[in-house]
Parts: sequence; structure tokens; C-alpha cells
Amino acid sequence: MFWQLVVSGLATGCIYALVALGLTLIYKATEHVNFAQGEMAMVGAFLGYTLYTDLHLPVSMAVAGAVVLSGVVGLVIQFVVIRPAADQPHFNVFIITMGLSIVLRSLAGLVWSHDEFPFPGLFPVRPVTFGPVVVTPLNLGTIAVAVGIMAGLFAFFRYTRHGVAMRAVCERPEAAQLMGVEVRRVFAAVWVLSAAVSGLAGALIAPVLNLSTHMGAVVIPAFAAAILGGWGSFPGAIAGGMALGVIENLAGGYLAGQIKNMVPFLVVLGVLVVRPQGFLGEKEIRKV
Amino acid sequence: MLALRDVTVGYGKTPVLRDVSLRVDSGRIVALLGANGAGKTTVMRTVMGLLKPWSGDVRLGARDIGGLRTARVVRLGIGLVPEGREVFAHLTVAENLRMGAYTRRDAAEVAQDRERVFRLFPVLGERLGQRAGTLSGGEQQMLAIGRALMARPRLLLLDEPSLGLAPLLVREIFQVLRQIHREGTTVLLVEQNAHMALQVADYAYLLETGRVVRHGAPAELLEDPAVKRAYLGG
Ligand SMILES: Nc1ncnc2c1ncn2[C@@H]1O[C@H](COP(=O)(O)OP(=O)(O)O)[C@@H](O)[C@H]1O
Ligand SMILES: [Mg+2]
Repeated sequence: MFWQLVVSGLATGCIYALVALGLTLIYKATEHVNFAQGEMAMVGAFLGYTLYTDLHLPVSMAVAGAVVLSGVVGLVIQFVVIRPAADQPHFNVFIITMGLSIVLRSLAGLVWSHDEFPFPGLFPVRPVTFGPVVVTPLNLGTIAVAVGIMAGLFAFFRYTRHGVAMRAVCERPEAAQLMGVEVRRVFAAVWVLSAAVSGLAGALIAPVLNLSTHMGAVVIPAFAAAILGGWGSFPGAIAGGMALGVIENLAGGYLAGQIKNMVPFLVVLGVLVVRPQGFLGEKEIRKV
Repeated sequence: MLALRDVTVGYGKTPVLRDVSLRVDSGRIVALLGANGAGKTTVMRTVMGLLKPWSGDVRLGARDIGGLRTARVVRLGIGLVPEGREVFAHLTVAENLRMGAYTRRDAAEVAQDRERVFRLFPVLGERLGQRAGTLSGGEQQMLAIGRALMARPRLLLLDEPSLGLAPLLVREIFQVLRQIHREGTTVLLVEQNAHMALQVADYAYLLETGRVVRHGAPAELLEDPAVKRAYLGG
């Protein structure tokens, strides 16, 4: 039972990690906290659903399409809502993204209704046995896809010209401009990337949760994951997400099912008391 | 090459530069001197398009570049080594240099320029994998200069490259500046260290509270009683 809980916890944790990565991307580049990250995942999943049911694409194509379309949604949001407010205090932008989350949920409700829909899994749910451990291919596949994407992101930031430029922009936007980087374009690219990663998270978790407009609530554990790992740290977002998924599942399995939903809050409270910078985070150094 | 004419610019509503005119001819080293707060950095930022002139114009050759986006100015061949170095502390030395060459697609020549930077600053070659934040102040200044050279600028602006460095390092940096200039780069050098700057410069401007109050060949400025009093300690 323990290992089943761990594996399925890791699968959920990977989803948290992806959404937390989306949050971290935007935060690192622009210092904006995007409360609508979960709704972006939800809209991505619905777009995938439409590709699957209305255009009859195979599941894998529908998920890939969801990722691409999510990126487009991210670009539109950045252009229409975020860029005009770029010079506003960060708190105002935070409020704008809160409004955005409500708008996205309402729009999704208008288009797809607030019902629940069964979402096709990329992988079968019929369990397979490895020695004493029984796991579903869905869980393993979710973990594999998420880890693959994270490895891809890592390589992008480490080795490509645009990836290194994004890191430079995160650290010193003005110096990056002096290198010839079009910083506004990078900010737009960051929203595209962040939305695409979240859209993937949405399409991966939809088969487990059932697809509905309430899925945006995934932003809460994603925030908890990012804080657990260290707010603003990419490795922290990944490790925090996975750890939170496992902790949550173990608590739900061994203690009581109801505790599960409280775990993110308890974890955040615990971290903020014991180690405010999170486990992989750096102590905040204020730039003067 | 570069010419500012009657440039007025500032932050918010207060002007910092008033009717500043100066010229940097091709092949020269021009020094811009002035006390702290005189507006030297503001001149640099205006040239780079980080500030848009309120009036007057900034020309590169025949082209008006006043208020052009910074990324465009860089592509026209102007590079800035900013005040306080501004290296990317979390990036490695190699990645900082790579960022310097961000606008370039000619990989082979970029590799040559990297070698050139290592010739000028051998220590950078030994620290390639190290994060820039772990370098000493002098090494960071070398990296900031090396990074700017990686764009192969025709005109290099340096904002107080000697700031906070030990005298020996200052000498080394100035030697490299001469070398860079000999190899064909035009230089506009901002300094509070007037002695050093006037030794390398062909021409100098003196800025006081946002206005050019003197300009001339270094020999003339060195003889000027007002300059002596204010900047050369007697
Ligand atoms: N970002 C800013 N906002 C408002 N005032 C500024 C800013 N930067 C510089 N100033 C003011 O402009 C004047 C000139 O600054 P600066 O160009 O940095 O001088 P210098 O480089 O010669 O020391 C100073 O009085 C300074 O206080
Ligand atoms: Mg200055």
C-alpha cells in the first residue's frame, strides 16, 4: 500500500510541479504572481477535450494540441491584460490575475458548461503489477511525461541561446537589454511557456479529477509546492511539487481521506514557520 | 561617429542634463568627466536608449538614434559597460560572454572574439565554468568589459570602469582599454578618476550639474585652473 500511495502521489505531485513551474517562470522573469495559473491549466484541458471530442483527434494529438493552444492563450493574456499593466505595482497585477482567474472560469463555463466531463487518459488506467507494487500506467506515464518536459526545460535554459537569455532577463532585465535582448518579447515568451506547461498539467490531471471548471483550484497546491521547495526556485518547484503530492497521498491514505485537502495549507504553514525560504530556496537578498 | 546635440533629459519631471552637446569622432578615446551626480551615467543611458531625450538629438553617423529601443541601439554597434558592472551573477563566465554575443550569428568569428577576450583578460579563461557572482570585483569588471566586447561594438561606452578597484587593477584595466582602442574600437569613457582618464583620452568633456562646462584636449584641461581645483586635487 505504501508504494502505491507513493507512486500515485508522485503522479499528482508532478502535476503540482508543472503548475508550480509555470508560476515560477512568470515570477522569476517579471516578479508577477499569477493567480490565474490554475485556470490556465483548466482552459488548456478543455481545449484538449474539444480537440478530442469535436475534432476526433487521437488522445496524444489532443494533448499536444492543448499544450500549443494553451501557449496561444498565454500569449493573448500577456498582450491584452498583463502588458498594459506592466508598469503598475506588482500587487495591482496580482489583483488583475485574480480577476483573470474568475473571467477564465466564467468563460469556460459559458463555452463548456460547469459540468464534469470524463477526460481520456494518455495511458491506460488498468493496474499492472511490479512485484509487490501495483501501479497504473496512467500514473507512470504522467510521471514520465512530466519528468521529460522538466528535463527538456532544463536543457533549454542551460544550453540554448534563448534559454540563457531568459535567465539573464530574470536576473537583470536592463543588462539583458544591453546585450541586445528584446526584453518585452522575452516576457511574452515566458507567458507562452508558462501557459503551455500549465496546459499540459491540466491535460494530464483531467483524467484523474474529471474535467471541470473547478480544476483551477490546482493553483493552491501548486503555490504550496513552490513555497515548500523555495519560492522562485525551479528545482524547488519540482521537488516541492513531488514532495507535496506524496505527503498529501500518504496523509490521505494512512490518516483520513479528509485530511488530504488540508495538507497543502498545513505544509505551507509548517514551512513558513520552520524554513521561510523553503527547502531549496535562497535567502532573499534585496537588490538595492 | 556619435554626436549629442542640445540634449535635455531627466527622470520624472526634473531635467538632469540640460542642452548637452558632445561628439565622439571615429577612432578616438573621449573622456567624460564630472563629479558624482553630474549626469555622466545619464548621458550613457540616453545614448543606449534607456532614456528618451526630451529635446535635442542623438546621432550615430547620420542616423538619429534618440529614444531608439536599446536592443536596436546595440545592433547598430554601440556597447555599454554599465556602472557597477551588472554582470549576470547567476550565470557562468562562459554564459555571460555568450550573452555578450547574443546579437551575433557568425559562430566562427564569435569564437575568435572569445579568444581575444581571453588574451586581454587571461583570468576569465580560467574561470569559465564559475558563476560570475563568485568573481572578485576586478574580475567582474573584466567580465563586464569582455562581455561588451563579445558584441564587437564599433563604439564602446564605459561607465566608471575603475570604480572600487585597487590602483594596480585600475592600471591593468586602463592598459586593456588602450589595447582595445588600438585594435580599432572608438571609446567614450566616463570617469571620476580624472588623472587616469586624461592620460588615455584624446579629448575630454567636463560635466557639472548636467551641463558641459569645459571641453578640450587633455593638455588644455590639465592646465585649466578650474579643472585643477575641482578634479585634480589642486
Ligand atoms: N533613476 C533615477 N531617478 C531619479 N533621479 C535620478 C535617477 N538616476 C539618477 N538620478 C539623478 O540624476 C542626477 C545625475 O545622475 P547620474 O547621471 O547617475 O550622475 P553621475 O553618473 O555623473 O554620477 C543625480 O542628481 C541623480 O540623483
Ligand atoms: Mg554614474
